[in-house]
Parts: sequence; C-alpha cells; structure tokens
Amino acid sequence: MRLSTPLVIAALMLLVTDDVMGQRRRRFPARPQPTEAARPAPAPEVAEKKKVEHWLAVTGGDVYLGTGQLVRRATVLIGDDKIHAVGHDLDIPEGATVIDATGKVVAPGFVAVKAAGMGAPRSNDGKVADSLNPYDPSIKMGLAAGVTSWLMTFDQGTDKPGGKSAVLKLAYGDLDGMVVAENSVYSMRVPLTPGQWEALRDNVKKAKEHLEKERAERSGDKPATPAAATPASAGGEAGRGSRSGGRARPGSGGASGAPKGTEEILAVMRGEAVLWVTCQRSFDNRAIHQALDVAALLGQGVVLDNPITAWCLPDEIAETGSMAILNPRERSAPDPTHPDTTGSNIAAAAILSRAGVAVAVTPPGGRFGGATLGTGGILGQDLHTLHLDAAYAVRGGLDNRKALRAITLDAAKIIGAEARVGSLEVGKDADLLILDGDPLHYRTFVETAVVNGKVVYEKDKEPFYRHIQR
Amino acid sequence: MTLGTRLTQTVVSWIAVTCGGLAAQERPVAIQNARVLTMTGETLESATVLLRGGSIEAVGADVEIPAGAEIVDAQGGTLMPGLVSAYSRAGVTAPPQQDTSEPAERRGRFRGRGRGGSGSSAASNKAAAKVSDALYARQDVFGDLLECGVTTLAVTPEGPGFPGQGAVLDPAGKTREALTVDDEAFVLLSAATGTKNKELIKDGLEKAQKAVEERKKPKTPEKPAEEKKPEAKKTEAKAPEAEGKTGEKPPAKEGEKPPVKEGEKKEGDEKSEEKKPQPPQPARPAKKDPNIEVLADVLEGKRRAFLLVTSASDLAHFKGAIGKSEFPKRTLIAPGYSSTNGRLDEVLDQLEPFKGTILTSPTLTSPAYSEALVNPAAALVAAGYDVGFILGDSKRDVRDLFFKLMELVRHGLDRDAALAGVTLVPAKALGIDDRVGSIAEGKDADLLLFDRDPLDPAAKLVRVWHKGGTVGKERTE
Repeated sequence: MRLSTPLVIAALMLLVTDDVMGQRRRRFPARPQPTEAARPAPAPEVAEKKKVEHWLAVTGGDVYLGTGQLVRRATVLIGDDKIHAVGHDLDIPEGATVIDATGKVVAPGFVAVKAAGMGAPRSNDGKVADSLNPYDPSIKMGLAAGVTSWLMTFDQGTDKPGGKSAVLKLAYGDLDGMVVAENSVYSMRVPLTPGQWEALRDNVKKAKEHLEKERAERSGDKPATPAAATPASAGGEAGRGSRSGGRARPGSGGASGAPKGTEEILAVMRGEAVLWVTCQRSFDNRAIHQALDVAALLGQGVVLDNPITAWCLPDEIAETGSMAILNPRERSAPDPTHPDTTGSNIAAAAILSRAGVAVAVTPPGGRFGGATLGTGGILGQDLHTLHLDAAYAVRGGLDNRKALRAITLDAAKIIGAEARVGSLEVGKDADLLILDGDPLHYRTFVETAVVNGKVVYEKDKEPFYRHIQR
Repeated sequence: MTLGTRLTQTVVSWIAVTCGGLAAQERPVAIQNARVLTMTGETLESATVLLRGGSIEAVGADVEIPAGAEIVDAQGGTLMPGLVSAYSRAGVTAPPQQDTSEPAERRGRFRGRGRGGSGSSAASNKAAAKVSDALYARQDVFGDLLECGVTTLAVTPEGPGFPGQGAVLDPAGKTREALTVDDEAFVLLSAATGTKNKELIKDGLEKAQKAVEERKKPKTPEKPAEEKKPEAKKTEAKAPEAEGKTGEKPPAKEGEKPPVKEGEKKEGDEKSEEKKPQPPQPARPAKKDPNIEVLADVLEGKRRAFLLVTSASDLAHFKGAIGKSEFPKRTLIAPGYSSTNGRLDEVLDQLEPFKGTILTSPTLTSPAYSEALVNPAAALVAAGYDVGFILGDSKRDVRDLFFKLMELVRHGLDRDAALAGVTLVPAKALGIDDRVGSIAEGKDADLLLFDRDPLDPAAKLVRVWHKGGTVGKERTE
C-alpha cells in the first residue's frame, strides 16, 4: 500500500471526526444533566394572554441569552416589562420603540450577589419596599457597571438559618418596580458547636415532619415531588435538580402551625428560599465539610459564601447539589502549618464549574471592605465591576459562556430570583444591557441599560463615561 | 388687649421715640415719592401710599394726604409688602407631644430624612394638636424677625405623618393671645418613609375618608331618648384611636360636633333596632377622634393642608401612602434640595396631582456627582407652579434673604417671581392673601421701605411698617 493513502484516509478521518468539544467532553466528562422536566420552565409564551401597552424592540445585536447561548444579529422584543420573544425575523408591532443595536452586544442585566447602597434603605425598619430610595444616584452608578439586580442583606444569619434580605432591581424612578422578592435568601454560619448542631438537627427534623404532614393532607393534588429527597441529584446544574422540584410546586399554603424556629428552614426546604452558608474565619476544608453537612441534613444544596478552598473539594460540593460564590481576584496565601491544603486558586471557578457546581462571582472588597460591589470609588478606574471579575475567572480557565452565567443566570439562582431575572428568556423580566463589546472585556462599556422594559441608563446622558468615545 | 395695657403701650410708644419716631396708631402715614411694588398690579414708579388705622387706605400717584398725617419722603426708594414667612420653626420650643430626648439642634426640618425608620418620635396621628399651644411669646426671635421685615409669620409643627396644625402669628404680639392670629391655619401632612409611617398616613386618611362619607349621609330626626345607645356602632372602630388623641381638644370643635353626632347615632340606632332595648342611659356624646375629624376637614377642603414632601423619593412613597385621597386646599412644601433622594423639579410629571402653590428653598443646588449649579425654583416657575420661598427660622437666615434672591435671579428666575415669592405667594399659601402680601387698598399696612431696588446689592432696608406702625427705629446709617 502506498504511504499516502493511509495518510489521506487518516486526514479524512481526522477532518470528519475532529471534534474539539467532544474531546473536551471526553476529557472532562460532565455530570449527567438533569432532565428537562426537572428544570424550572420559564412561563409560557405570554403573547396573547395580556394586552401589552408598550412594545420595545432591540434589533440587530448579538444577543447573549444568559443561559450560555449566543444568538447573533437577533431581535429582542419586550412587551411592557417582560421579554416577549427573542430571535430572528420577529414581528415587531406597530408603535413599538425600536433601539438599533446593530454591531453591539445585548446581554442580560448582571446580577450582583453582594452589593450595597444603590437605593437600599439605610435602616432595618419594617418592609424593605417602604424605605427604598428610587432616586439614589448610586443606582445610576450600578447601571453604568451593568448591574440590574442585586441582593441586599440586612442581618446575617447566626447559627440558625435566618437573616433578612431582599432582591432589588435598579429601576431608577420606579418605586414599585424595585423589589423583586423579600427574604429569598437566608444565611447561617459555620462552624457550629455540637450543641448548635443538635439544635439544627432538631429543627430540621421538625420541619420535615411538618412538611410530611402538609403533603399527607394534600396527597392526591399533585404527584409528590421529592423536594426533600436524597441529595444525590448531582448534575451539571446540580442545585436546580432538587430545589427546583420544590419550587415548581405551588406555594404551599401558609406556614400555619409551623413549629417555632423552623420557618426559615421550611422556606428553604420548600424551595422558596436559598440558604447561604458562610464561615466565620477563613473558609477552609473543614468549614466546607461542615457546610456540606448542613446541605446533607437539609437534603438539598446550599450556597457556599466565598469558600476559598472549594477548589480542593469540587466533587463533594457537586454531590450535594450546592452552589458557590467566589472572588476570583481574591488571593490568599497558603498556610504551611495547616494540615489541609489552603490558599486561593484562580482556577477555582473553572474547577468547580467543570465538576458541575453553579458558580457566581463577586468583586473582592473595595475601599469599604468585604466582598461587595463598591459603588464608591471612581467607577471604572478601580475596576470593581462584575464583568471584570468574571473575566478573571476566565483567566483561571473558566469557560467563557459559563463566566457570563456566573454574573447572570447562576447568580440569579444563588439569590433565588432565577424565575424572574438572569436571562433573556420569554416571560422573564426585561432587564438587558446593550454593550459596545464583548461582555467580559475590560474595554466594554454599557451603552444602554433597560430595566423592567424601560430605558434607565444611557452612557452619553450620564456624567460617568460620557467623555469616553471609542 | 385690655385698656390698661393699651394705654401703657401708647404712652411707651410716645416716650420711646427718637428720630422718625413710632407713629401712633391713629395718625395716618403718607409715604411719598416711592416706587411701589404692589405685587398684584403694576409697579408704580412714583406714588404715594396712605396708611391709616393699620391698613392701607390708598395707593396712587395723586393721593390726597389728610391733615396731621406723618409724611415720609421715600426719596425714590422702593416700597414692597412685608415679608411673609409661611413655614417656619421660629420660636417653637419643645411641643408637649413630641419626643424631647433629641437635642434641640437636631430638631430641624430635615430630621426625618436619611433615616429609613420613623426616627425617634413614636409616630402617631396628632392632627388636632396645635403648635401654637406650645409657643412662648416673649422670645427675641419674633422681634428680630420683625425688624428684618418679616411682618407675617407662620410656624409649623414637626414630625412624620400628622404632627399637628400650624399657626399664623403676629410677630409684634407680646402675649400668646396677641401673638396668635390663627391657631388652625393649616394641617401639616409630612411624607415619610418606613412601614410604620406609611401605615400611619394610610390609616389616618382612610379613617378620615370614612368620616367624610358619614358626614355626607343625611341626618335623620332625633328619636326618643330610650332608643339612644350609649355608643354608635361606627365609633367603636374609632375607639382604639383614642390613644392617639391628645389632651387638647380644640374647643372650637365642640360646636360643630353635635349635629354630626346626631346623624351618626341614628345610624347606630337603625342598625341595632333589633337588639333588646337597653335601659335608658344618660346620652353620652359619641366619641369622635378629633384628629380624624381634622383630617376629614382637610379632605373636604374646609382646612388647608401643607404637604411636606422633601424629595422625589418621598413623593413616590407619599403617593403610595395616600392612595386616592385628594386635598382640595393644599400647598406643597419642599424645603431643601436633596441630591441623594431626587429633586422635585426632576419629577415634574409626578408632581402634577399636587399642582398649585409650592414653598421651596431660595437656593441653588447641584445635582449628584456634579458641581454645576441648577435653579430648581426657576424650573418650577417655568412648569407653572406658584413658587414661594421658605425664609428661615432666624434673623440670620432672613437678613441674607435678598442676597439669596439675587442669586436666584442671576441664574434665571424672573425678578417679579422672586419678590412675589417672599410676599404674595406665601400669603396665598396660607390663604391670607386678602390681608397681606400686596400693596393695595384695604390690605394690612405691612410695608418695607428700601433706599433702592431690593434686589440691588447695595440696598438697605430703611424702615419697616407693621400694621401701620414703624418697627424699631428708622435706620439712617
């Protein structure tokens, strides 16, 4: 046989079978994805259900849906304050406002899982909605950084799940449109003393019994979804599997008769809230194990709040269906005296993501300390913006699309608001950004920000970046 | 005033005279060669104003001067109406209902801002409380303000929700009775954020709305005493409001209560007819919350409301709290400009339902993150509001008033609007523009004489007349 024939055949075979993504998949096998049924489906087409008063169409841009998909040169059609349709050749109704985004990038509004200011009330008094300031100028700063929704926390939880939080939107000037949800996040801290563990186990038991009672009373209404079932629903979007089952259920009646001290746990188990676990001191492996024990106790995933050494235990975290909030830029040196591996790793987000853990990124502390999106400082010069931290995660090896999810859909999941924000899917809130470049590039600016279907920020009308023309 | 006091005052006034001298009340005063800013009509270039008996008797170019009149030659200076300070805390010491644990300096107008909660005072409905009940008459501040030209002063209560009713004062009065001209001049509604405050406002207005509807119900003729029940059904809902009642029931209100109560009691009777008739008890008047009654008056337009809304954020919360309530006689008060909570001139379309008179600060301000100067007063005038100015609480604030007005005019405010904003418009805001705020026949003789145009930087306030009498000494330096 001639030498060239096998070569030609080999070349042809390579051409046919060269599948880079396939190779990636074989090398890093992803966890089995949960079936479509387990995923919380966004609301069905809203088209004919409600009469829309005002249409807004953003045409011609490259649309990142926030789920990881990119649709090039597409149109986003917004009806009032919800996304009506995304795609090509859409039928734009008469009288719609059209924003031409040709050559630009359209992305969902970013979700800041930790932030401060931006219209939030300064004191903890009554309902959050009654003390908001919709004209706070730092709302515009947040919009200039691309943030459209964020989680505000008042009290940190203690050894029991608790605390007060609210998901707020940067709907400048629109008081009613600012609150998305109240208390969708409860938090607690580890490590716990044996006594506190005992108390927690007790409360979880009571909560489970209460839920069983409720389910027994309602048996026959719906097929019981295993909301509190085994945590081994490991999967790519692991946290969704078990929790979404709970959330797909209709809001299970009032917590009448709920045992004292279990309201928050019940909310978490029903899928109405997300539990964040944070560590008092540095989040090392022992603390992570404690947090995962909490998850095992509850029977569903929790959110690890800045676990520095999570990159050491990706599989264990994924197994419980937990999620993580990371600061890719934060660097802490390893401690040689510590028996476990310690220290941060810029590849943490990539490692966790590959194991199937949903990850959100947040900037490290600015001049105010703590890992919050500082809207103080000189915006743009201290680079404390979300998309740059996602870019750092990419530098560590995280996939580009996953990095965008870390500030959109996965971040929305972590704050418990993925039913309304985080991606440009039909039926979700119309919060989007028109960017003048790739969302994760440092030179990219937000040109227009739309929240609840209204334009609330335009770069050339606000004093922050008006002077920078490219 | 008693005869003795009056006699003493007249004697003292004659004795204490130096140059110029205090004119006795009866002696007419004729001010000649003055440029008169009437506020309601044309500016008269060289006219004479005749004052007699505490009022302006005549204004014009050729006014007959009666014999024995004191003649004042204005030498071309400008005569304008006395300043009307329609929203002030001057002289208000600790009102009994308010929380006095806060240091006095902080009990300023902006106390509630910046805080999400209700602040230190437990918010309750005190609409019937009167700020004039807490006034101490012998304070220097009243005389000081009068010397600076403030001939009409209105003081306001303070606090979130419904802190009470403001009063119009005569700054020359030396006793509480002489000082207080109208102790129920306006009802203050203070917008506030925070669940407690908003609930308070919502609750109060809802109850007032119900009271208004009940007043509209026709009154049925009085039934025999046996069937009268001690308490009508509807007032039971108001009984819990009793804790909000203050000890001071406005005595003037008693008169108007009985006819309304009759109608209410009839409702109760008709409903409870099927009940067993109780043994006849002495007919007790049905308890009505005076605070709610005051608010009901406001909703009907019988009383004037001052709506205190300091920022756009407050406005948004306020609209949520008041629901559909409307205030037929209202003035909007917007002291200070907030750069962190939004300015009212940035949300003019949301301000539409409150269109009318607005009292605001005579200052320029800067937007957030900027050093540029903006003139909110000019923007409001351009949008069609009658803009009046808040003069301030002390002599220091009022002395600089004309410099502040100059600055506003320099940045685009109309001159006439600037001067009307410290005279006629605040008088309109209080509903007393039939008496003060302009120079015309029949108005009170409250005048300011400047040696040149008041908005000229070198202008001096030469003389102040209050009810026809000169205030203090005539300034000749």
